[in-house]
Amino acid sequence: MSEDRVKEGWDPKIAAIVCNWCTYAGADLAGISRIQYPPNVRIIRVPCTGRINPFYIVRALQEGADGVLVSGCHPGECHYITGNLSARRKFAMLKIFLDYLGLEADRTTFTWCSASEGERFAKVVSGVTERVRQLGPAKKLVKSL
Amino acid sequence: MEAIEKKLREEAKKLLEEKKVDVIVGYEAGTLPLTAAPAFVTDPSDTTKLVWNALCVQNLAKYVHDVVSQHRNAQKRVKPENRTKKVVGVVGRGCTTRSIILHLQERQYTREEIVVLGVPCRGYVDKKKLSVLLEGQEIVHGALDGERLKVTTAAGDRIVAVADVLADNCLICRFNNPVISDLMAGEPAPAMRSDEEYDAVKAFESRPSEERWAYFEKEMAKCIRCYACRQACPSCYCPECFAEQSRPRWVGIGEDASDTQVFQIMRIFHMAGRCVDCGSCVAVCPMGVDLRTFLKKLDKDAYELFGSRVGASLDDPPVLSTYREHECEDFIYNP
Ligand code: SF4
Ligand code: SF4
Ligand code: FES
Repeated sequence: MSEDRVKEGWDPKIAAIVCNWCTYAGADLAGISRIQYPPNVRIIRVPCTGRINPFYIVRALQEGADGVLVSGCHPGECHYITGNLSARRKFAMLKIFLDYLGLEADRTTFTWCSASEGERFAKVVSGVTERVRQLGPAKKLVKSL
Repeated sequence: MEAIEKKLREEAKKLLEEKKVDVIVGYEAGTLPLTAAPAFVTDPSDTTKLVWNALCVQNLAKYVHDVVSQHRNAQKRVKPENRTKKVVGVVGRGCTTRSIILHLQERQYTREEIVVLGVPCRGYVDKKKLSVLLEGQEIVHGALDGERLKVTTAAGDRIVAVADVLADNCLICRFNNPVISDLMAGEPAPAMRSDEEYDAVKAFESRPSEERWAYFEKEMAKCIRCYACRQACPSCYCPECFAEQSRPRWVGIGEDASDTQVFQIMRIFHMAGRCVDCGSCVAVCPMGVDLRTFLKKLDKDAYELFGSRVGASLDDPPVLSTYREHECEDFIYNP
């Protein structure tokens, strides 16, 4: 199935789960400033990275996302003070765990990006899209029925 | 072992007679040969049926949680001034007490509601290992005789050393003596080979990614989603499990292999900083799914990244409920 997707001119589909207070605004800034970045991300806005259930990431992969990007406020800048600090532990363990299971490590990416970093947001998206393109279409854990 | 059992029964009897506890959660001989089952003793004269030996498998903290939460729920229908507290006495080996510590940290009940009757543990018999040794023959009769099992099958009598069939998690257990206890029955047991505790995980880590995935796929393909692992797990106590939630439906219940994989990934990941490696889930799995290779990885990471071991101490919070300001930044992507 995935070979067919490459033939059909496959382009990575990336679910970006981002925090409302920083990265979402950063994406907005990138847009207003007319900074170009690949159109492969589908942005999902959440109130804080602390709100992200690891299930969101695993489900996105199951539902056919080729990659997942999670981005929130830099440590120390979380709107809810410590949401991203708790999230960081959770994500660190999740990322290593998914890799351990044999899922490609580069399919899940975690980063920080503030509201003023439109430039950085564009760079992150380009970088992640490129990494996922290298991996090719997701085959593992993808629901087929 | 007999001396420990005797002391255990005496202490349990005293606790019930002096009304220091309402119920003792312990083990009794099971109905099948070479098994032990959880026992709930409320009558002091019934304490003679309590046993403590290498056939006691399940982590009793699960039942402590069940008893406490059932009592609490029943109390909701009682006028506030008439409400009672129930004190549960529990026969606690190392992993059981670790689960109790986790429950206390997760505020499932208070320290006053439980009395831990500590017992030293030398490991329990893995039924699946025994069955392999017996070439799958059904055990017609069996008896535990010190360090040996006397087994009768259709093929005849056999003597099996307990040491040869101990569960994998017991062989490398770091906490085979109670972490907390109010009373102790018997002297502490000798240490197990805890320096080897992560060897299996390290071996798995060193295999190529494709092989790891193939192994995970193969193991999870055996799973029939009976949820016995979850039912047996002391850390799985949510009143409603994500596996059954329908709004949203987190995980599909169809034939697709990915649904089972997602169920397992999520149940296992919920054990991050919460699994005490008691082996209860592995012991009850009817399909022999290797859950431990994956569960133990989380334990290893929690220790290596954050220096935390589940239930090692009451003052050490579960790994995902705390944080430090500066830590583990190296997985963060910086283009
Ligand atoms: S996941 Fe299994 S080994 Fe871990 S605490 Fe639960 S029952 Fe015990
Ligand atoms: S006990 Fe075994 S078969 Fe049943 S749900 Fe758990 S892993 Fe699957
Ligand atoms: S508010 Fe942005 S990560 Fe918490």
